[in-house]
Amino acid sequence: MKYSISLCLTGLIISSFTAKAQNIKFTEFDLKNGLHVILHEDHSTPIVAVTVMYHVGSKNETAGRTGMAHFFEHLLFEGSDNIGRGEYAKYVENAGGGLNANTSQDRTFYYEILPSNQIELGLWLESERMMHAKVEMKGIETQREVVKEEKRQRYDNQPYGNLFPEALRHAYKVHPYAWAPIGSLDDLNAAKEQDFVDFYKTFYVPNNAVLSIAGDFNVEETKALIKKYFGEIPKGTIPIPRPTVTEPTNSGEVRDEIGVKDQLPMVLQAYHIPAQGTPDFYAVDMLNQLLSQGQSSRLNRSLVDEKQLALFCGAFTYNLEDPGLTLAFGLASMGVEAAQVEAAINEEFDKVKTQEVTDDELQKLKNQVEVDFITRNSTVAGIAESLANYYMYFGDTNLINTEIQRYMAVTKVDLLNVAKKYYATDNRVVLYFLHDPNLVK
Amino acid sequence: MKRFTYIAFVMTAIIIAACKAPKVDRSKAPIAGPAPKIQIGQYQMFTMDNGLKVIVVENHKLPRVSYSINLDIDPVLEGTKAGYVSMAGDLMANGTATKSKAQIDENVDFMGASLSTSSTGVFGSCLKKHADNFLQLMSDVLLNPSFPQDEIDKYSKQAISGLQNEKTDPDQISSKIGNMLNFGNTHPYGETMTEESIGNIKRDDLVGYYKSYFKPDVAYLVIVGDINLEEAKVQSQKYFSGWQKGQVKSSKFPMPKAPEANQVAFVPVPGAVQSVIDVTYPIDLKPGTMDAIAASVLNNILGGSGFQTRLMQNLREDKAYTYGSYSSIQSDDVVGFFSAGASVRNEVTDSSITQILYEMQRLVNEPVPDSTLQTVKNIMTGSFARSLERPQTIANFALNIQKYGLPKDYYETYLQKLSAITAADVQAIAKKVIKPSNAHITVVGNKEVASKLAVFASSKKVDILNPDGTPFVELQPAPNGVTAASVLNNYITAIGGKDKLMAVKSFEQQGKMSMGPMSFDMNVKMKDNAKYAVNVMMGDMAVMERKFNGTKGYVSQMGQKQPMEQGDIDDVKREMDLLAELHYDQYKITPVLKGIDKLDGEDVYVVELMNADGTSSTDYFSVASGLKLKTSSTEGEGEESVTVETIYQNYKDVEGIKVPMQIQQNAGPQQFIITIDQYKINPKLEDKIFVVE
Repeated sequence: MKYSISLCLTGLIISSFTAKAQNIKFTEFDLKNGLHVILHEDHSTPIVAVTVMYHVGSKNETAGRTGMAHFFEHLLFEGSDNIGRGEYAKYVENAGGGLNANTSQDRTFYYEILPSNQIELGLWLESERMMHAKVEMKGIETQREVVKEEKRQRYDNQPYGNLFPEALRHAYKVHPYAWAPIGSLDDLNAAKEQDFVDFYKTFYVPNNAVLSIAGDFNVEETKALIKKYFGEIPKGTIPIPRPTVTEPTNSGEVRDEIGVKDQLPMVLQAYHIPAQGTPDFYAVDMLNQLLSQGQSSRLNRSLVDEKQLALFCGAFTYNLEDPGLTLAFGLASMGVEAAQVEAAINEEFDKVKTQEVTDDELQKLKNQVEVDFITRNSTVAGIAESLANYYMYFGDTNLINTEIQRYMAVTKVDLLNVAKKYYATDNRVVLYFLHDPNLVK
Repeated sequence: MKRFTYIAFVMTAIIIAACKAPKVDRSKAPIAGPAPKIQIGQYQMFTMDNGLKVIVVENHKLPRVSYSINLDIDPVLEGTKAGYVSMAGDLMANGTATKSKAQIDENVDFMGASLSTSSTGVFGSCLKKHADNFLQLMSDVLLNPSFPQDEIDKYSKQAISGLQNEKTDPDQISSKIGNMLNFGNTHPYGETMTEESIGNIKRDDLVGYYKSYFKPDVAYLVIVGDINLEEAKVQSQKYFSGWQKGQVKSSKFPMPKAPEANQVAFVPVPGAVQSVIDVTYPIDLKPGTMDAIAASVLNNILGGSGFQTRLMQNLREDKAYTYGSYSSIQSDDVVGFFSAGASVRNEVTDSSITQILYEMQRLVNEPVPDSTLQTVKNIMTGSFARSLERPQTIANFALNIQKYGLPKDYYETYLQKLSAITAADVQAIAKKVIKPSNAHITVVGNKEVASKLAVFASSKKVDILNPDGTPFVELQPAPNGVTAASVLNNYITAIGGKDKLMAVKSFEQQGKMSMGPMSFDMNVKMKDNAKYAVNVMMGDMAVMERKFNGTKGYVSQMGQKQPMEQGDIDDVKREMDLLAELHYDQYKITPVLKGIDKLDGEDVYVVELMNADGTSSTDYFSVASGLKLKTSSTEGEGEESVTVETIYQNYKDVEGIKVPMQIQQNAGPQQFIITIDQYKINPKLEDKIFVVE
C-alpha cells in the first residue's frame, strides 16, 4: 500500500517529464472460463496483431523433461481437429499474414499479424490451438529433429554458444531457471506422447492465457467474435504447477572455467537480482544501463576505449518473473588474459558500489529510459505483447503507461544501495570461457 | 442520442450472443470481409543549393525524428588496403576537429539518441525536443571528422581480434567465402579485410576516402518522423548548407560471372556440429525492374520467408534436416547474387545439398502451379502491407525511386505489377537466374563431411579453404636440406651449444607454479647428471615429490609414496639429459619432420616424436630463432583423452645457456603456469637431498 502511494506522488512530480510519451488506451475483460482479453485499437495501418500468451515456460518443467515448453510450442503448429497438419502457416500466409511463436523461461507467446479484414481467421486459429490441438506421431518425430537442429544452430554451433546455458546452470542450484528454454537433447528424446497430453491439459487452458489484440479493428464487434470462438472453451481443472522454490542469494562466489572452441577468452559474471517489478529491480536495471547502454557507458568506455582490453563488453538485466540475473561480460582482445578483463569489470562494479553517480549521469539514464519507452510501442505487434506481459506478470496492464514512473523515481542513493546490496562478490558466478584444444581436434 | 442507440445495439447483440450460445462452425476458416485498402504514405522532397536532396516523411505518432545521410556512390576497389573504406566510415564519429570520441559519445547518450556512421552515410535518431542539439552533433561528425591516429590504432587492433574470433563462426565464414567466390578479389564486393591489409592502412587513406566521397551533390538527407516540411527546411539549411559541393568520380567494374560448372568449396571448422551450406553465384538483376519483381516472386516460392516455401517444406517440415532453409535473390545496381542454404546436422550435409539443387532445378523445369503462385502473391501483398506500418518504409521507397531512377508511381502500382505476374513469367525468370549447374557450393563445417562433397563438383574435386579464403594446406613443406636432425641440432645450438650444455653437470631451478587462484612453490635439482629431485610445495605442505638417487627412486603425492617403475626411471633420465634431443636413438624415439606451420604468426618447424609404444608427441621449433616454442601431446585414450600443450616462453640467458623462464601448460581448459625465479648452473648440492629410503 505504501508503495503505490509513493508511486502516485512520483507520478505527479515527473508528469511534466513524460507529458509527450503516448498514452496507450486499451479495454480488458475476462471471459467466464478465465481467459483474460486485452484490446487496443489503432487504425493507422490496416493490420491487426492477434496474440495469445500462455503462462508457461521452461520454469514449469521438471528435471528430466527440460525443453518441453519450447518443444510443445513447435507441436502446436501441427494442427487441430479442424486444421490439418502444417495448415496453420497456410491459412495465415495465404491471407497475407505472418505468424510465429517463441518460448521463454516464463511464458509461451503465439502471434499472427493479419490484414485487418482477417481478424476472425486469427481468432479461429488461436481458439483451435487452445481447444483442439492435435499432434500426430509424424509431427512429434519431425519437430523433435527440427528442435535439435535449432539447438545446434543457435547454441552448439555458435561462437560461445554455451554462454547462457552455462550462466544459468551455475547461477541456479534449486530453481528451474537452471536450464535454458531449449532444454537438453536427451530430455527431448525421452519425451513420451502422454507427456504432451498432460502438458496440454495442464497449461493450455483459458484461465492460464491472455488474448491480446492490437491494431485496426472495432472493439465491440471483436468482443462478440472473441466470445464466439473462445467462450465455449472449458476452464482448466488441473492446478497449474509453478515453482515455489527461491534461489538462495549471497551463498558464496561460484567460479568455473569452461572450454570453448573459440580462440579469445570470454569472461561472464552473473549476479542474482530481484524479480522484475520489485522496487529494487528498477534501480538495478538503471545501474546496468549506466554500465552498458551506449558508447559512453562505463564498461564500454573503460574496457573497450580506454584500457582496450575487450572487443566488446556489457552488463544487462536478464529480467524474469522470479528473481533473475545481471549478466556482465567481456570478450578479451587478442593477447589479453581473462583475469585482466575480469579485473577491469570488477573495477567498474566497485565504483558503483562506493560512489554515487553524478547528477548528469542520472539525468542521462532518465533521458535514455524516456526514449526507450517511446520507441518500444512503435508496432501493433509490440504493443499487443507488452500489454499481455504487463497483465500476466504484474496483473496491471496499465503499467504500459505508468511503469516509466518507477524508473523516474530512482535516486542516486537507490543506485548506490542496490549496487552494494546485489553486486556483492558472494552473490555472483564468475565464468571464464577459454579455448580448449580438445574441442577442435 | 445517437451514442445511446449504438450502445443499446451492442448490448442487445451481446445479450443475444450470450443467450443463444450459437453453435460455432469450427470446421472451416471464417470468411473474411472486404480487403482493406492499402495506402502508401506520402513523402516530400526538395534540393538544397549545395545539391543535397532532402526527403521528408511526416509521421506524428511518436515524438521522435530520424535523420540519415545516404551517399549514392559506386563501390571502391581497395586492393592491398582492403578494409580502409569501412574503417573510414566506422571512424567518422570517433573524433571531430573540436570534439573527442568520448565527448561525442557522452552527448549522444545524454539525449538517449543514437548515431552511427558507415562508408556510405550517417544515421541518427532522437526525440523531437532534442533535435537541435542532436543535429549540431551530427553535422559536426559529417563535416569535420578528424580520424585521430589513436582511434585508428585501436580500431585496427580490434579488427585483428575480430578476425581471430571469426575463425570459429561458421555463419560469418560462409558469407565471407560466398562473397569472395562470387565476386572475386578484383571486385569491391569480393574484397575482404585481412590482418595484412589492415596493417597497410594509413590515416591518409581514410581522410582521402572521406574527402573524395562525402559530398552533398551525391547525397540524400532522409528525415522521418514528428516534423513538417517547414521545420525540415529550416533544419537542413541550418545544419547542412555548410557542406561543400565536389566532384565524385564514378567507377565501373567488369560483371562477375557464375562459374562454368558447379564448384565445391569446403572450410573446415574443428568441432562443428552442423554444416552451413550455401549454393550461391552472382547474377545481373537491377532493382526496380519487372524482372526484379518476378525474381522476388520466384524467391518466395523457393525459400524467401515464412513456412510454406519449398525449401522449408522439404528440408524442415518433411525431412527435419534443419531448423530453417532459406534462399535470397538479391538485385543490385552493380551486381546481385543468388543464395540458397541451410544449417544442417553433419550426417545429412550431402542429402541437403541434393534437395536444395533439386528444388532449384524444379523451378527451371516446371511451371509453378497457379495455387502456389497465388499463395506467394498473397504472402508478398501481406508483407508489403505490414511493412507500411513503419514510416521508414515510405522513406526507403522514396530513396529507391531517386537512386534507381524508378517511375514516381513505382510503389503505388507495385501491387498491381505483382498481381500481373504469371506462371510463365516466373519460369522465364527462373531460367535466367536459377543456375543449379553453375554454382559455388560452399560448406563450412566438420572435416568429417568433406569427403561426401566431391560428387557435387563437376571436377569431382573439393577446394579446401581456410576461413580467410586462402587454400587450406595442412603444412608447408620444409626447404630442401632441412631434416629432423638439422632442426634438433639447430635447437641445441640456439640454447647454447653442445659444449656449454655438456659442461652442465648439475642445476637447480626455483620457481612458482600457478593454477587458477592456487599457487605452489616448485624446486627441481639435478646432480652429476645422475641424481634428481623435484619438490612441489603449497606453503609448508608437500604436494608432490619425485626423487631419484641414480639407481632407484620414488614418487610421492600428498604423502602417498610409490616406488618408481622402469618407465618412470626412463622419464627421469630423459628429463635430466640436457642434450636429450641429440640422444633420441637411446630413448627409442624417432623424430619426423612434418613441415612448416604457423604458431601465433611465427613460422615453426613441426617435428613429430614417435615413441616405441606407438604414442607420439609434437615439438614446434621457431624457424627464425631455432628455439623450441611448444610441445603438444595427447594423454589418455579415446573419449577420455586430453591434449596437453606446453608452451615455452621468455627464454633468458643463464651463463650462456638459454632457459625458458615461463612454461605454460594447457590440459583441456585447465592451465598451469610455471614461472622460474632462479636457475643455477653447477651449484653445490648436498648428496643427502637425493637419498631414497
